[in-house]
Amino acid sequence: MPKHDTPLLDELEKGPWPSFVSDLKRQAETKPECWDILGQLELSYKDRITHWKHGGIVGVFGYGGGIVGRYSDVPKQFPGVAHFHTVRLAQPSGMYYATNKLRGICDLWEKYGSGMTNMHGSTGDAVLLGTTTENLEPLFYDLTHIENQDLGGSGSNLRTPSCCLGKSRCEWSCYDTQALCHHLTMHYQDEIHRPAFPYKFKFKFSGCPNDCVAAIARSDFAVIGTWKDDIRIDQAAVKGYVNGEFPSNGGAHSDKDWGAFDIQKEVIGLCPTECMWMEGDELKIDNSECTRCMHCINVMPRALRPGVEQGATICVGAKAPILDGAQFATMTIPFLEINADNEFEEVVEQIEKIWDWWMEVGKNRERVGETIQRVGLPTFLKIMEVEPIPQHVKEPRSNPYVFWQDEEVPGGFERDVREFRKRHAQ
Amino acid sequence: MALSKEELKAAMIEKATKAPKPQLYVKDFYKCDPDTKPRMIKNVANELVKEGELMFWSSGSTTMYARPDRIKNEEARDDAEEHKND
Ligand code: SF4
Ligand code: SF4
Repeated sequence: MPKHDTPLLDELEKGPWPSFVSDLKRQAETKPECWDILGQLELSYKDRITHWKHGGIVGVFGYGGGIVGRYSDVPKQFPGVAHFHTVRLAQPSGMYYATNKLRGICDLWEKYGSGMTNMHGSTGDAVLLGTTTENLEPLFYDLTHIENQDLGGSGSNLRTPSCCLGKSRCEWSCYDTQALCHHLTMHYQDEIHRPAFPYKFKFKFSGCPNDCVAAIARSDFAVIGTWKDDIRIDQAAVKGYVNGEFPSNGGAHSDKDWGAFDIQKEVIGLCPTECMWMEGDELKIDNSECTRCMHCINVMPRALRPGVEQGATICVGAKAPILDGAQFATMTIPFLEINADNEFEEVVEQIEKIWDWWMEVGKNRERVGETIQRVGLPTFLKIMEVEPIPQHVKEPRSNPYVFWQDEEVPGGFERDVREFRKRHAQ
Repeated sequence: MALSKEELKAAMIEKATKAPKPQLYVKDFYKCDPDTKPRMIKNVANELVKEGELMFWSSGSTTMYARPDRIKNEEARDDAEEHKND
Protein backbone atom coordinates (compact mmCIF):
# COMPACT_ATOMS: atom_id res chain seq x y z
CA MET A 1 0.00 0.00 0.00
CA PRO A 2 1.49 3.32 -0.98
CA LYS A 3 1.95 6.23 1.35
CA HIS A 4 -0.29 9.18 0.68
CA ASP A 5 0.54 12.86 0.89
CA THR A 6 -1.12 14.19 4.02
CA PRO A 7 -0.24 17.88 4.39
CA LEU A 8 -3.36 18.67 6.46
CA LEU A 9 -2.87 15.76 8.86
CA ASP A 10 0.84 16.54 9.17
CA GLU A 11 -0.17 19.80 10.86
CA LEU A 12 -1.48 17.69 13.72
CA GLU A 13 2.01 16.38 14.44
CA LYS A 14 3.24 19.84 15.40
CA GLY A 15 3.12 21.02 19.01
CA PRO A 16 4.12 19.37 22.27
CA TRP A 17 1.20 16.96 22.63
CA PRO A 18 0.90 13.33 21.52
CA SER A 19 -0.39 12.96 17.98
CA PHE A 20 -2.59 10.18 16.62
CA VAL A 21 -1.14 10.97 13.20
CA SER A 22 2.38 10.10 14.39
CA ASP A 23 0.98 6.96 16.06
CA LEU A 24 -0.72 5.89 12.83
CA LYS A 25 2.43 6.50 10.78
CA ARG A 26 4.41 4.35 13.19
CA GLN A 27 1.77 1.64 13.07
CA ALA A 28 1.77 1.75 9.26
CA GLU A 29 5.37 0.49 9.24
CA THR A 30 4.03 -2.96 10.23
CA LYS A 31 0.35 -2.56 9.24
CA PRO A 32 0.31 -0.90 5.83
CA GLU A 33 -3.50 -0.47 5.86
CA CYS A 34 -2.85 2.37 8.28
CA TRP A 35 -1.50 4.42 5.32
CA ASP A 36 -4.98 4.18 3.85
CA ILE A 37 -6.59 5.43 7.06
CA LEU A 38 -4.36 8.45 6.84
CA GLY A 39 -5.10 8.86 3.12
CA GLN A 40 -8.84 8.63 3.59
CA LEU A 41 -8.82 10.97 6.57
CA GLU A 42 -6.80 13.53 4.60
CA LEU A 43 -9.42 13.30 1.86
CA SER A 44 -12.18 13.83 4.46
CA TYR A 45 -10.40 16.91 5.76
CA LYS A 46 -10.19 18.20 2.19
CA ASP A 47 -13.78 17.29 1.25
CA ARG A 48 -15.12 18.18 4.69
CA ILE A 49 -17.23 15.06 4.76
CA THR A 50 -16.74 11.60 6.22
CA HIS A 51 -15.83 8.82 3.83
CA TRP A 52 -16.96 6.06 6.19
CA LYS A 53 -20.28 4.37 5.72
CA HIS A 54 -21.93 2.16 8.29
CA GLY A 55 -24.20 -0.80 8.39
CA GLY A 56 -24.72 -4.21 6.85
CA ILE A 57 -24.63 -7.80 7.99
CA VAL A 58 -21.50 -7.62 10.07
CA GLY A 59 -21.41 -9.72 13.18
CA VAL A 60 -20.38 -13.03 14.63
CA PHE A 61 -22.61 -16.04 14.84
CA GLY A 62 -25.32 -15.76 17.48
CA TYR A 63 -24.49 -12.17 18.38
CA GLY A 64 -26.49 -9.14 17.33
CA GLY A 65 -24.02 -6.63 18.68
CA GLY A 66 -20.42 -5.97 19.55
CA ILE A 67 -19.22 -5.40 16.00
CA VAL A 68 -19.86 -2.15 14.20
CA GLY A 69 -19.67 -2.50 10.42
CA ARG A 70 -17.60 0.21 8.77
CA TYR A 71 -16.82 0.55 5.07
CA SER A 72 -14.99 3.08 2.96
CA ASP A 73 -17.06 4.88 0.32
CA VAL A 74 -13.86 5.28 -1.73
CA PRO A 75 -12.55 1.69 -1.56
CA LYS A 76 -10.75 1.80 -4.91
CA GLN A 77 -8.62 4.69 -3.75
CA PHE A 78 -8.02 3.17 -0.29
CA PRO A 79 -8.33 -0.63 -0.54
CA GLY A 80 -6.71 -1.15 2.88
CA VAL A 81 -9.79 0.28 4.57
CA ALA A 82 -12.47 -1.05 2.18
CA HIS A 83 -13.78 -3.00 5.20
CA PHE A 84 -12.65 -1.58 8.48
CA HIS A 85 -14.97 -2.91 11.16
CA THR A 86 -14.85 -1.96 14.81
CA VAL A 87 -14.89 -4.63 17.52
CA ARG A 88 -16.09 -3.74 21.01
CA LEU A 89 -14.77 -5.76 23.95
CA ALA A 90 -16.57 -5.82 27.29
CA GLN A 91 -14.22 -4.17 29.75
CA PRO A 92 -13.82 -5.56 33.27
CA SER A 93 -15.68 -3.70 36.04
CA GLY A 94 -13.64 -0.68 37.08
CA MET A 95 -11.31 -1.37 34.12
CA TYR A 96 -8.80 -3.42 36.07
CA TYR A 97 -6.77 -5.55 33.67
CA ALA A 98 -3.86 -7.85 34.30
CA THR A 99 -1.02 -6.87 31.96
CA ASN A 100 -0.89 -10.36 30.44
CA LYS A 101 -4.56 -9.99 29.47
CA LEU A 102 -3.85 -6.72 27.68
CA ARG A 103 -0.85 -8.28 25.94
CA GLY A 104 -2.97 -11.25 24.88
CA ILE A 105 -5.67 -9.01 23.41
CA CYS A 106 -3.09 -6.87 21.62
CA ASP A 107 -1.40 -9.97 20.15
CA LEU A 108 -4.71 -11.18 18.76
CA TRP A 109 -5.45 -7.76 17.38
CA GLU A 110 -2.04 -7.60 15.66
CA LYS A 111 -2.88 -10.95 14.11
CA TYR A 112 -6.44 -10.26 12.97
CA GLY A 113 -6.78 -6.49 12.80
CA SER A 114 -5.03 -3.19 12.29
CA GLY A 115 -3.43 -3.21 15.75
CA MET A 116 -5.14 0.10 16.50
CA THR A 117 -7.14 0.36 19.70
CA ASN A 118 -9.13 2.95 21.57
CA MET A 119 -8.93 2.52 25.33
CA HIS A 120 -11.73 3.06 26.12
CA GLY A 121 -14.68 4.13 23.97
CA SER A 122 -17.22 6.41 25.61
CA THR A 123 -19.56 3.51 26.34
CA GLY A 124 -16.72 1.94 28.30
CA ASP A 125 -15.64 -0.92 26.04
CA ALA A 126 -12.10 -1.54 24.91
CA VAL A 127 -12.42 -0.75 21.21
CA LEU A 128 -10.45 -2.54 18.50
CA LEU A 129 -10.44 -0.45 15.32
CA GLY A 130 -10.31 -1.95 11.87
CA THR A 131 -10.60 -5.47 10.57
CA THR A 132 -12.12 -7.32 7.63
CA THR A 133 -15.33 -9.36 7.53
CA GLU A 134 -13.38 -12.64 7.02
CA ASN A 135 -11.30 -12.07 10.15
CA LEU A 136 -14.26 -11.55 12.48
CA GLU A 137 -15.13 -15.17 13.27
CA PRO A 138 -11.52 -16.36 13.84
CA LEU A 139 -10.85 -13.31 16.02
CA PHE A 140 -14.00 -13.94 18.05
CA TYR A 141 -13.08 -17.61 18.45
CA ASP A 142 -9.63 -16.78 19.80
CA LEU A 143 -10.87 -13.96 21.99
CA THR A 144 -13.39 -16.21 23.68
CA HIS A 145 -11.29 -19.39 23.78
CA ILE A 146 -7.81 -18.06 24.52
CA GLU A 147 -8.53 -14.82 26.36
CA ASN A 148 -11.93 -15.70 27.86
CA GLN A 149 -12.98 -12.29 26.56
CA ASP A 150 -16.53 -11.39 25.52
CA LEU A 151 -17.77 -8.71 23.15
CA GLY A 152 -19.62 -5.64 24.36
CA GLY A 153 -22.98 -4.22 23.26
CA SER A 154 -23.85 -2.09 20.23
CA GLY A 155 -26.91 -1.16 18.22
CA SER A 156 -30.27 -1.29 19.99
CA ASN A 157 -28.86 -3.54 22.69
CA LEU A 158 -28.11 -2.96 26.32
CA ARG A 159 -24.65 -1.40 26.09
CA THR A 160 -21.75 -2.75 28.13
CA PRO A 161 -22.43 -1.57 31.70
CA SER A 162 -19.63 0.50 33.21
CA CYS A 163 -18.72 1.67 36.69
CA CYS A 164 -16.25 3.69 38.71
CA LEU A 165 -13.65 1.76 40.69
CA GLY A 166 -15.86 2.14 43.75
CA LYS A 167 -15.01 0.38 46.98
CA SER A 168 -11.88 -1.20 45.52
CA ARG A 169 -10.01 2.07 45.99
CA CYS A 170 -12.32 4.89 46.91
CA GLU A 171 -13.36 5.74 50.46
CA TRP A 172 -16.39 7.69 49.21
CA SER A 173 -18.11 4.82 47.46
CA CYS A 174 -21.58 4.36 48.98
CA TYR A 175 -22.13 0.93 47.42
CA ASP A 176 -20.05 -1.70 45.65
CA THR A 177 -20.21 -0.37 42.09
CA GLN A 178 -18.13 -3.21 40.68
CA ALA A 179 -20.32 -5.89 42.22
CA LEU A 180 -23.51 -4.32 40.85
CA CYS A 181 -21.98 -3.68 37.42
CA HIS A 182 -20.70 -7.25 37.15
CA HIS A 183 -23.93 -8.76 38.42
CA LEU A 184 -26.10 -6.89 35.91
CA THR A 185 -23.66 -7.63 33.08
CA MET A 186 -24.10 -11.35 33.75
CA HIS A 187 -27.82 -11.08 34.48
CA TYR A 188 -28.59 -9.30 31.19
CA GLN A 189 -26.28 -11.20 28.81
CA ASP A 190 -29.08 -11.67 26.31
CA GLU A 191 -29.93 -7.97 26.25
CA ILE A 192 -26.23 -7.07 25.77
CA HIS A 193 -25.69 -9.43 22.86
CA ARG A 194 -28.98 -9.21 21.02
CA PRO A 195 -31.14 -6.24 20.05
CA ALA A 196 -33.93 -5.81 22.55
CA PHE A 197 -35.06 -2.21 22.58
CA PRO A 198 -36.33 0.71 20.49
CA TYR A 199 -32.79 2.10 20.71
CA LYS A 200 -29.63 1.80 22.81
CA PHE A 201 -29.83 1.61 26.62
CA LYS A 202 -26.92 2.32 28.96
CA PHE A 203 -26.29 1.57 32.62
CA LYS A 204 -23.57 3.41 34.49
CA PHE A 205 -22.63 3.13 38.14
CA SER A 206 -20.89 5.77 40.25
CA GLY A 207 -20.16 5.18 43.92
CA CYS A 208 -20.83 8.75 45.00
CA PRO A 209 -22.14 12.04 43.58
CA ASN A 210 -18.67 12.95 42.26
CA ASP A 211 -19.87 10.65 39.48
CA CYS A 212 -16.49 9.73 37.99
CA VAL A 213 -18.11 7.78 35.10
CA ALA A 214 -20.39 10.74 34.30
CA ALA A 215 -23.40 8.46 34.68
CA ILE A 216 -25.76 11.41 34.97
CA ALA A 217 -24.72 12.72 31.56
CA ARG A 218 -24.20 9.51 29.64
CA SER A 219 -26.55 6.79 30.77
CA ASP A 220 -30.21 5.97 30.45
CA PHE A 221 -30.09 4.40 33.91
CA ALA A 222 -27.61 6.08 36.25
CA VAL A 223 -27.01 4.59 39.70
CA ILE A 224 -25.23 7.21 41.79
CA GLY A 225 -24.19 6.44 45.35
CA THR A 226 -25.61 8.62 48.12
CA TRP A 227 -26.51 8.55 51.81
CA LYS A 228 -29.67 9.13 53.77
CA ASP A 229 -28.42 10.32 57.15
CA ASP A 230 -25.97 13.04 58.17
CA ILE A 231 -22.50 13.82 56.83
CA ARG A 232 -20.04 12.49 59.41
CA ILE A 233 -17.98 15.32 60.90
CA ASP A 234 -14.67 15.02 62.76
CA GLN A 235 -14.53 18.43 64.45
CA ALA A 236 -10.87 17.99 65.48
CA ALA A 237 -9.95 17.46 61.82
CA VAL A 238 -12.01 20.54 60.83
CA LYS A 239 -9.82 22.53 63.23
CA GLY A 240 -6.77 20.89 61.67
CA TYR A 241 -7.76 22.18 58.22
CA VAL A 242 -8.52 25.65 59.58
CA ASN A 243 -5.08 25.74 61.26
CA GLY A 244 -3.35 24.62 58.07
CA GLU A 245 -2.27 21.21 59.43
CA PHE A 246 -3.72 19.33 56.43
CA PRO A 247 -3.71 20.44 52.82
CA SER A 248 -7.22 20.99 51.42
CA ASN A 249 -8.50 18.77 48.59
CA GLY A 250 -6.01 16.08 49.62
CA GLY A 251 -3.23 18.31 48.32
CA ALA A 252 -4.61 18.27 44.77
CA HIS A 253 -3.99 22.00 44.24
CA SER A 254 -0.56 22.18 45.86
CA ASP A 255 1.25 23.04 42.60
CA LYS A 256 0.63 26.71 43.34
CA ASP A 257 0.45 28.78 46.52
CA TRP A 258 -3.21 29.69 46.88
CA GLY A 259 -2.72 31.29 50.29
CA ALA A 260 -3.96 30.08 53.66
CA PHE A 261 -7.03 27.82 53.75
CA ASP A 262 -10.21 29.83 54.29
CA ILE A 263 -13.08 27.57 55.36
CA GLN A 264 -15.62 30.36 54.94
CA LYS A 265 -14.60 31.15 51.37
CA GLU A 266 -13.66 27.69 50.14
CA VAL A 267 -16.26 25.51 51.79
CA ILE A 268 -19.16 27.28 53.49
CA GLY A 269 -19.46 30.01 50.86
CA LEU A 270 -19.47 27.45 48.05
CA CYS A 271 -22.10 25.12 49.49
CA PRO A 272 -24.82 25.30 46.80
CA THR A 273 -27.69 25.08 49.29
CA GLU A 274 -26.06 27.36 51.87
CA CYS A 275 -26.67 24.80 54.59
CA MET A 276 -23.32 25.12 56.43
CA TRP A 277 -22.12 27.54 59.07
CA MET A 278 -19.60 27.85 61.93
CA GLU A 279 -20.62 28.01 65.58
CA GLY A 280 -17.44 29.10 67.35
CA ASP A 281 -14.89 26.70 65.92
CA GLU A 282 -17.44 23.95 65.23
CA LEU A 283 -18.72 23.27 61.72
CA LYS A 284 -22.49 22.79 61.48
CA ILE A 285 -24.53 21.32 58.63
CA ASP A 286 -28.29 21.40 58.17
CA ASN A 287 -28.40 17.96 56.55
CA SER A 288 -32.06 18.25 55.56
CA GLU A 289 -30.99 20.96 53.10
CA CYS A 290 -27.78 19.27 51.90
CA THR A 291 -28.06 18.24 48.26
CA ARG A 292 -25.18 15.73 48.50
CA CYS A 293 -22.99 17.65 46.05
CA MET A 294 -19.76 16.30 47.67
CA HIS A 295 -18.01 19.69 47.54
CA CYS A 296 -17.30 20.03 51.28
CA ILE A 297 -16.23 16.37 51.51
CA ASN A 298 -13.88 16.76 48.54
CA VAL A 299 -12.22 19.79 50.14
CA MET A 300 -11.84 18.34 53.65
CA PRO A 301 -11.75 14.54 53.26
CA ARG A 302 -10.19 14.01 56.71
CA ALA A 303 -12.94 15.96 58.43
CA LEU A 304 -16.06 15.03 56.49
CA ARG A 305 -17.39 11.72 55.22
CA PRO A 306 -20.66 10.53 53.66
CA GLY A 307 -23.22 9.26 56.19
CA VAL A 308 -23.52 5.60 57.15
CA GLU A 309 -27.00 4.82 55.74
CA GLN A 310 -25.81 4.35 52.21
CA GLY A 311 -27.49 3.48 48.93
CA ALA A 312 -28.01 5.17 45.58
CA THR A 313 -30.05 7.71 43.70
CA ILE A 314 -31.50 6.54 40.38
CA CYS A 315 -31.47 9.06 37.55
CA VAL A 316 -33.06 8.17 34.22
CA GLY A 317 -32.78 9.37 30.66
CA ALA A 318 -29.45 11.05 29.80
CA LYS A 319 -28.26 11.09 26.23
CA ALA A 320 -25.83 12.73 23.80
CA PRO A 321 -27.04 15.25 21.25
CA ILE A 322 -27.51 12.96 18.22
CA LEU A 323 -31.24 13.28 17.46
CA ASP A 324 -32.41 15.99 19.82
CA GLY A 325 -30.32 18.13 22.16
CA ALA A 326 -28.05 16.60 24.82
CA GLN A 327 -29.84 15.91 28.05
CA PHE A 328 -28.92 15.08 31.63
CA ALA A 329 -30.66 12.24 33.44
CA THR A 330 -33.63 13.17 35.62
CA MET A 331 -33.52 12.27 39.29
CA THR A 332 -36.26 9.69 39.58
CA ILE A 333 -35.75 7.66 42.74
CA PRO A 334 -34.04 9.67 45.50
CA PHE A 335 -32.84 6.68 47.49
CA LEU A 336 -32.67 3.01 46.72
CA GLU A 337 -31.01 0.33 48.79
CA ILE A 338 -28.27 -1.51 46.92
CA ASN A 339 -28.17 -4.96 48.36
CA ALA A 340 -25.94 -7.74 47.07
CA ASP A 341 -27.54 -10.29 49.45
CA ASN A 342 -30.76 -10.40 47.44
CA GLU A 343 -28.92 -10.15 44.09
CA PHE A 344 -29.77 -6.46 43.78
CA GLU A 345 -33.44 -7.25 43.49
CA GLU A 346 -34.54 -3.63 44.05
CA VAL A 347 -32.37 -2.38 41.18
CA VAL A 348 -33.52 -5.13 38.80
CA GLU A 349 -37.14 -4.32 39.61
CA GLN A 350 -36.69 -0.65 38.67
CA ILE A 351 -34.84 -1.50 35.46
CA GLU A 352 -37.54 -3.87 34.30
CA LYS A 353 -40.31 -1.42 35.11
CA ILE A 354 -38.64 1.04 32.74
CA TRP A 355 -38.00 -1.55 30.03
CA ASP A 356 -41.52 -2.99 30.04
CA TRP A 357 -42.93 0.49 29.57
CA TRP A 358 -40.35 1.89 27.13
CA MET A 359 -40.39 -1.19 24.89
CA GLU A 360 -44.09 -0.63 24.44
CA VAL A 361 -44.33 3.16 24.32
CA GLY A 362 -40.91 4.20 22.95
CA LYS A 363 -40.70 4.92 19.23
CA ASN A 364 -38.00 3.38 17.07
CA ARG A 365 -34.68 5.18 17.62
CA GLU A 366 -36.04 7.05 20.64
CA ARG A 367 -33.93 7.00 23.82
CA VAL A 368 -35.88 6.55 27.04
CA GLY A 369 -35.08 10.16 28.01
CA GLU A 370 -36.80 11.33 24.84
CA THR A 371 -39.81 9.13 25.54
CA ILE A 372 -40.05 10.69 29.02
CA GLN A 373 -39.84 14.14 27.48
CA ARG A 374 -42.60 13.27 25.01
CA VAL A 375 -45.07 11.84 27.53
CA GLY A 376 -44.08 14.15 30.41
CA LEU A 377 -42.39 13.39 33.73
CA PRO A 378 -45.67 12.95 35.70
CA THR A 379 -46.64 10.02 33.46
CA PHE A 380 -43.22 8.46 33.85
CA LEU A 381 -43.26 8.84 37.63
CA LYS A 382 -46.58 7.05 37.68
CA ILE A 383 -45.08 4.15 35.71
CA MET A 384 -42.24 4.05 38.22
CA GLU A 385 -44.74 4.19 41.10
CA VAL A 386 -42.89 7.16 42.56
CA GLU A 387 -44.69 9.95 44.43
CA PRO A 388 -43.59 13.33 43.02
CA ILE A 389 -41.43 15.43 45.36
CA PRO A 390 -40.20 19.03 44.97
CA GLN A 391 -36.82 17.78 43.69
CA HIS A 392 -38.59 16.38 40.62
CA VAL A 393 -39.70 19.87 39.61
CA LYS A 394 -37.38 21.60 37.17
CA GLU A 395 -39.07 24.98 37.03
CA PRO A 396 -42.28 26.65 38.19
CA ARG A 397 -45.18 25.75 35.90
CA SER A 398 -45.98 28.01 32.99
CA ASN A 399 -48.96 25.94 31.82
CA PRO A 400 -52.24 27.20 33.36
CA TYR A 401 -54.15 23.90 32.99
CA VAL A 402 -54.64 21.43 35.79
CA PHE A 403 -55.18 17.84 34.78
CA TRP A 404 -57.17 15.64 37.10
CA GLN A 405 -57.11 11.88 37.03
CA ASP A 406 -60.28 9.83 37.25
CA GLU A 407 -59.55 8.70 40.80
CA GLU A 408 -58.87 12.26 42.02
CA VAL A 409 -62.40 13.48 41.18
CA PRO A 410 -65.37 12.49 43.38
CA GLY A 411 -67.46 10.09 41.31
CA GLY A 412 -64.77 9.87 38.62
CA PHE A 413 -65.41 10.93 35.01
CA GLU A 414 -68.32 8.55 34.46
CA ARG A 415 -71.56 10.39 33.82
CA ASP A 416 -75.05 9.71 32.60
CA VAL A 417 -75.34 11.76 29.40
CA ARG A 418 -79.15 11.53 29.33
CA GLU A 419 -79.35 12.84 32.88
CA PHE A 420 -76.98 15.65 31.93
CA ARG A 421 -79.00 16.58 28.82
CA LYS A 422 -82.15 16.92 30.92
CA ARG A 423 -80.56 19.86 32.67
CA HIS A 424 -78.54 21.20 29.73
CA ALA A 425 -80.68 21.13 26.62
CA GLN A 426 -78.72 20.84 23.40
CA MET B 1 -55.64 -14.44 23.86
CA ALA B 2 -51.96 -14.48 23.00
CA LEU B 3 -50.82 -16.56 20.03
CA SER B 4 -48.91 -19.77 20.68
CA LYS B 5 -45.17 -19.55 20.12
CA GLU B 6 -45.38 -21.40 16.79
CA GLU B 7 -48.20 -19.16 15.57
CA LEU B 8 -46.24 -16.10 16.64
CA LYS B 9 -43.13 -17.32 14.82
CA ALA B 10 -45.15 -17.88 11.63
CA ALA B 11 -46.71 -14.40 11.90
CA MET B 12 -43.28 -12.81 12.42
CA ILE B 13 -41.76 -14.63 9.45
CA GLU B 14 -44.66 -13.53 7.29
CA LYS B 15 -44.25 -9.94 8.44
CA ALA B 16 -40.50 -9.99 7.66
CA THR B 17 -41.22 -11.52 4.23
CA LYS B 18 -43.94 -9.09 3.21
CA ALA B 19 -42.91 -5.80 4.85
CA PRO B 20 -42.07 -3.12 2.25
CA LYS B 21 -38.51 -2.83 3.59
CA PRO B 22 -36.49 -5.96 4.36
CA GLN B 23 -35.08 -4.57 7.64
CA LEU B 24 -37.44 -4.40 10.61
CA TYR B 25 -37.10 -2.99 14.09
CA VAL B 26 -37.99 -5.36 16.92
CA LYS B 27 -40.91 -3.03 17.60
CA ASP B 28 -42.34 -3.68 14.14
CA PHE B 29 -42.98 -7.26 15.27
CA TYR B 30 -45.09 -6.22 18.26
CA LYS B 31 -48.08 -5.82 15.96
CA CYS B 32 -47.89 -9.53 15.08
CA ASP B 33 -49.57 -10.16 18.41
CA PRO B 34 -50.64 -7.25 20.61
CA ASP B 35 -51.31 -9.72 23.44
CA THR B 36 -47.71 -10.91 23.71
CA LYS B 37 -45.35 -8.87 25.89
CA PRO B 38 -42.60 -6.98 23.99
CA ARG B 39 -39.81 -8.83 25.84
CA MET B 40 -41.29 -12.15 24.76
CA ILE B 41 -41.43 -10.97 21.13
CA LYS B 42 -37.78 -9.98 21.38
CA ASN B 43 -36.93 -13.47 22.69
CA VAL B 44 -38.85 -15.12 19.87
CA ALA B 45 -37.15 -12.87 17.28
CA ASN B 46 -33.79 -14.01 18.66
CA GLU B 47 -34.89 -17.63 18.49
CA LEU B 48 -35.77 -17.12 14.84
CA VAL B 49 -32.26 -15.78 14.29
CA LYS B 50 -30.84 -18.92 15.88
CA GLU B 51 -32.99 -21.01 13.56
CA GLY B 52 -31.78 -19.05 10.52
CA GLU B 53 -35.23 -17.68 9.66
CA LEU B 54 -34.17 -14.14 10.51
CA MET B 55 -30.79 -12.43 10.67
CA PHE B 56 -29.41 -9.35 12.36
CA TRP B 57 -28.78 -6.32 10.18
CA SER B 58 -26.90 -3.40 11.64
CA SER B 59 -27.34 0.20 10.53
CA GLY B 60 -24.31 1.19 12.59
CA SER B 61 -26.24 2.58 15.56
CA THR B 62 -29.34 0.36 15.49
CA THR B 63 -29.66 -3.37 15.00
CA MET B 64 -32.58 -4.64 12.95
CA TYR B 65 -33.98 -7.99 11.90
CA ALA B 66 -34.38 -9.25 8.34
CA ARG B 67 -35.05 -12.36 6.24
CA PRO B 68 -31.63 -13.53 5.00
CA ASP B 69 -32.76 -14.07 1.39
CA ARG B 70 -34.22 -10.57 1.13
CA ILE B 71 -30.92 -9.08 2.31
CA LYS B 72 -28.98 -11.22 -0.16
CA ASN B 73 -31.19 -9.99 -3.00
CA GLU B 74 -30.77 -6.42 -1.87
CA GLU B 75 -26.98 -6.77 -1.69
CA ALA B 76 -26.81 -8.41 -5.12
CA ARG B 77 -28.83 -5.49 -6.52
CA ASP B 78 -26.53 -2.95 -4.82
CA ASP B 79 -23.45 -4.73 -6.18
CA ALA B 80 -24.86 -4.74 -9.69
CA GLU B 81 -25.63 -1.04 -9.31
CA GLU B 82 -22.10 -0.30 -8.10
CA HIS B 83 -20.46 -2.16 -10.99
CA LYS B 84 -22.76 -0.76 -13.68
CA ASN B 85 -20.23 1.90 -14.60
CA ASP B 86 -17.12 -0.28 -14.34
S1 SF4 C 1 -17.59 8.29 41.70
FE1 SF4 C 1 -17.21 8.68 43.87
S2 SF4 C 1 -16.90 6.60 44.68
FE2 SF4 C 1 -16.59 6.44 42.48
S3 SF4 C 1 -14.39 6.73 42.19
FE3 SF4 C 1 -15.39 8.71 41.91
S4 SF4 C 1 -15.21 9.69 43.91
FE4 SF4 C 1 -14.89 7.50 44.24
S1 SF4 D 1 -22.32 18.08 50.32
FE1 SF4 D 1 -22.61 19.97 49.18
S2 SF4 D 1 -24.69 20.59 49.70
FE2 SF4 D 1 -24.06 19.10 51.24
S3 SF4 D 1 -23.22 20.31 52.90
FE3 SF4 D 1 -21.49 19.73 51.60
S4 SF4 D 1 -21.26 21.47 50.18
FE4 SF4 D 1 -23.29 21.65 51.12
